[in-house]
Amino acid sequence: MLIVGGPVPSPEHHRVGHPERPGRVEAAMAGIDDLHLDEDVEVVPGQAAPLDRLALVHPPAFLQELAAFCGAGGGDLDPDTYSTPQSFEAARRVVGAGLAAIDRLKVLQAGVAFVAARPPGHHALADRAMGFCLLNAVAVGAASLVAEGERVLIVDWDVHHGNGTQAIFWNDPSVLYVSTHQWPLYPGTGAAREIGGADALELTVNVPLGPGATGDALRRGIDELAGPAVDAFGPTWVLVSAGFDAHRDDPLADFALSSGDFAELAKTVQGFVPRPGRLALFLEGGYDLLAVRGSVAATLGELLGAPYDAEDPTSDDRSGAMVERARAERVRAIRSAEELEREGPG
Amino acid sequence: MTVRTIAVGYDGSIGAQLAARFAFDLANQLGANIVLVHAIGLLGRTDEIEIVRDLEETAVVMAGEAGIDPGHARWHVSQGDPCSALLRAGNPPLSADLLVVGSRGHRNDAGLPLGSTSHELAERATVPLVIVPSTRAD
Ligand SMILES: [Zn+2]
Repeated sequence: MLIVGGPVPSPEHHRVGHPERPGRVEAAMAGIDDLHLDEDVEVVPGQAAPLDRLALVHPPAFLQELAAFCGAGGGDLDPDTYSTPQSFEAARRVVGAGLAAIDRLKVLQAGVAFVAARPPGHHALADRAMGFCLLNAVAVGAASLVAEGERVLIVDWDVHHGNGTQAIFWNDPSVLYVSTHQWPLYPGTGAAREIGGADALELTVNVPLGPGATGDALRRGIDELAGPAVDAFGPTWVLVSAGFDAHRDDPLADFALSSGDFAELAKTVQGFVPRPGRLALFLEGGYDLLAVRGSVAATLGELLGAPYDAEDPTSDDRSGAMVERARAERVRAIRSAEELEREGPG
Repeated sequence: MTVRTIAVGYDGSIGAQLAARFAFDLANQLGANIVLVHAIGLLGRTDEIEIVRDLEETAVVMAGEAGIDPGHARWHVSQGDPCSALLRAGNPPLSADLLVVGSRGHRNDAGLPLGSTSHELAERATVPLVIVPSTRAD
């Protein structure tokens, strides 16, 4: 069973010529249609998320400021990030769609949820909109689960590092954050040596990979670097920041993934899900509409066991070395954190 | 405190040029090094290299005209939004002791702090910050 959170295409949050556009959600929905799931799909439309749920992540002062900024006409929040008078409400509906999808999974205790909504969220910090993102939907979803005593794994396979999500849970022992991303690239964070704060050491796993990275590099990165961390952590829920801008046709980055690679990634992540009904994916980036459509179909088709058409998975001889570089840097960072701990406060 | 390295945000705008000129003068007086920090945002692509090179050239010419020894000025391209890029300049490896930005962000109608690099920096900087005003408000 597929639970679709949304769809929230937010046509009122739009700027002509900007790649983060309503058609992205329509493309994702077309990918779902391609699977012909018939009665095996249920749509849960998102209401605007309540302010007290948003406040699990975003300080009320920031929410008021952002609402007022949009209300006064909107404008540029940074050189990449626009807003319109309706953008705050649109972003609230994205978060609401995520929460509704998770709630539905809890009732069903089965199936997979996909939140087909925009604007995206993983760059949004607790108190700052950036990188096309206003509110961090996956973070609010995770924080809501944590508030109920759950342990949440977030896998972020968007081609950009999810600096917002990492920062929000940096020192939170209830959330394990795993990201594969192009390096160097916006937003400039996500080095393998970033491993989490004092109370959550090793609960941030970054797999930075060079331009041209193929699907096997991301899979191996998740398997080899995140796998042991996931086993040690024991998640009760798995959320995915599912950007599709790592696809080779994406105009904003330089990874070389095919749609079939996303199916492989989905399979890897599915292996981390502790029991049925505990996996929700959130649309993040992805700016080539055909790539989004094909990749969404491959991802969800794989997870649901539905037939799908996909491009062949990709691999490259350099992948092993790329992953090894990240692993070595992570190991060094863990060792020096352990040394610091042994030395103690004095 | 000794100011050894001054980082100035540079995107080629009038505000950034004013900020750079201020930073050059200050560097001359203090004997400090200059780092011109250029941020490449989410919309920026690696194929923007030519534009970035042009910016670098004009900035280097400006520094020369201001009497900065070429060995004391460097150009630094940073991935990220301008605020984060400049904040990072305060950390190793750049380790700037002073940040300089133009007051004019990409958003002119002030009143709300959101959307203005200088406001964001003022709130978050961990090293001293100079905000260089534009010559006149409009
Ligand atoms: Zn992205």
